[in-house]
Amino acid sequence: MAQEKALLIDIKRCIGCLSCETACKQLHGFGTDPEPTLSDTAFTVVEARGDKFVRKLCMHCEDPACASACPVEAISKTRLGPVVYNADKCIGCRYCMLACPYQVPRYQWTKLAPFVKKCDLCVDRIKAGKSTACAEACPVQATIFGNRDALINEAWSRIRSDASYVPHIYGVEELGGGSVLFVSDVPFEKLGFKPAPTGNQPMPTLTSSALGDSPKVVIMGGTILSALYWVTQRRREVALAEAEEKATINKIKGERS
Amino acid sequence: MFARIKSEITLWRVIVAIIFVTGLYATYIRFFQGFRASTNLSDQMPWGLWVGLGTLCGIGLSAAGFGISAAVYLLGMERYRPILRSAILISFLGYMTVCVGYLYEIGLPWRFWHPIVMWNHRSVLFDVCVCIMTYTTVLTFEFAPAVIEKLPWQRFRETVLHYHHKILVAVVLAGVLLSSMHQSFLGGLYLIARGKLHPLWYSPYMHAMFYLSAIPAGLALTVMAIYLCMRSLNVRVDFSILNDCGRMIQLLLIVYAFFKVLDLIANQAFGYAFQFTHEAGYFWLEVLLFLAIPIIMLSFESVRGNPERLYWACAFVVAGFMVDRLNVSINALQTAMGTHYVPKWSELASSVLVIAAGVIAFRYAVIYLDILPKASSKPPQRWIGNAGLAAQA
Repeated sequence: MAQEKALLIDIKRCIGCLSCETACKQLHGFGTDPEPTLSDTAFTVVEARGDKFVRKLCMHCEDPACASACPVEAISKTRLGPVVYNADKCIGCRYCMLACPYQVPRYQWTKLAPFVKKCDLCVDRIKAGKSTACAEACPVQATIFGNRDALINEAWSRIRSDASYVPHIYGVEELGGGSVLFVSDVPFEKLGFKPAPTGNQPMPTLTSSALGDSPKVVIMGGTILSALYWVTQRRREVALAEAEEKATINKIKGERS
Repeated sequence: MFARIKSEITLWRVIVAIIFVTGLYATYIRFFQGFRASTNLSDQMPWGLWVGLGTLCGIGLSAAGFGISAAVYLLGMERYRPILRSAILISFLGYMTVCVGYLYEIGLPWRFWHPIVMWNHRSVLFDVCVCIMTYTTVLTFEFAPAVIEKLPWQRFRETVLHYHHKILVAVVLAGVLLSSMHQSFLGGLYLIARGKLHPLWYSPYMHAMFYLSAIPAGLALTVMAIYLCMRSLNVRVDFSILNDCGRMIQLLLIVYAFFKVLDLIANQAFGYAFQFTHEAGYFWLEVLLFLAIPIIMLSFESVRGNPERLYWACAFVVAGFMVDRLNVSINALQTAMGTHYVPKWSELASSVLVIAAGVIAFRYAVIYLDILPKASSKPPQRWIGNAGLAAQA
């Protein structure tokens, strides 16, 4: 089995040159003007946070909220790492956008046949043995591409050899981890990384307990309702029989008098 | 001639005409110019009024159908049989409006059938889709006799109704389970929005809260509809039934209030209600309309015993319920999503068009079919069943 690929983004090294953004736009044939936030024509952007630069892109979660939310399974996590979107299945319900904890998926609001747009970790290039366009374009190797395990080792060795790094790799465990990893010399919460809403648990665990209970509830509810129906039917039968009996007795009494 | 035409123009007809013209124009914009032209939806607010008003309120307010059919068919509460058909009709039309609204909501409406063949068991939305489709079929089945008994072919009529009656209870049972499931799954949709939804509404038991609030709201809408039918159409319903419904609504609201308080305590969210924020304001508006006013009003016999006052108490329940669903779907999300969403006129116009079509269909069904007991003629025998013996006993 092919090893899972990933990106390691080093916020300390990033110089904010936007090469990754431009390379991504060129690959997808979009105009190369930089955009302030992610959009349907910007799958990654570089945001300035103080004097640091933080890349925004799909985190390619191991157990993605978007994939669990999609009613038609148009989004799925591949073994190779990328979370990919199948436009042929999508119905355009936009539940993935509500579900994503990083607010990544974007929609083509202006189109008459709109689709969801997001980074696919250059899945076609990866399959061809190449690295992602953004990693290839980075002049200072602030974004590097490789096997996920190797990148985690690389990140730890950077943290160990340089005391200015925060001793944490964002993306290894948050929300169950993902294929995009960050290291930084500034605490992550100061760079706009929000606390993970479910800690290190994948987001789909929020719904799986409610959904998992439903068969039990249905079976129990069905049994109770059937039992109640049987009881009320029986009571009605008894009442009917008694009423008929009464009517007959009254009739006989009437005949006698 | 002119005078006759003039006499046909009434206030309500003018309003309906305006709703249809604006609604159809909004529909044209939606399907021929796209979302950007017809909505204020954005990447920060992917779901707006169509989901909040159309789907969440539409399904929730249609909850009476399963509630009353469970009471009558399964629990033997024969007393409510006169209002059974109207409750089923409201549910049926409510689900129809949701099915039509679904085509507005999704970006690729010609793929509406995809959830039937492309399954994702882990998706709450998939379960909602499947339940709504199945339950709409069940409601069609439950409502069908009202149409079939008006058909001119006697043999066909009798055969169909005979077999219909045989499997009815099983279908009702399935319907009760299905609708219980997706009423709660609608709340379950927001379980995954943890961290985005404001803590006054987010709860790991959101699905249960949605279920508990939908039943009184659906019942309240049914009472309102029946009151309006009695006022404007040739319909007479024993008012003590509606009085009892009022009592039931109050009880269900108290149960909901109890669990809502428990839920807020368990989530340690009570503090948010006393902050000076928009969310706190919307929360108190919801508490006032959905819980405080109706619970107090319905505790007076003078309100429950008076049709018009009962109507207004129910109107508060329905309005409060709509505030609750719009809070969850729109207001509770705005802060975390960093956006301010106000629906565009065309979103409102198209939603109102679909709802108005449902209301008009209800009116003509009540006029032409045996939905509610008519004032001038006796109700059909089959409503009482067993020639009235069971009811007498």
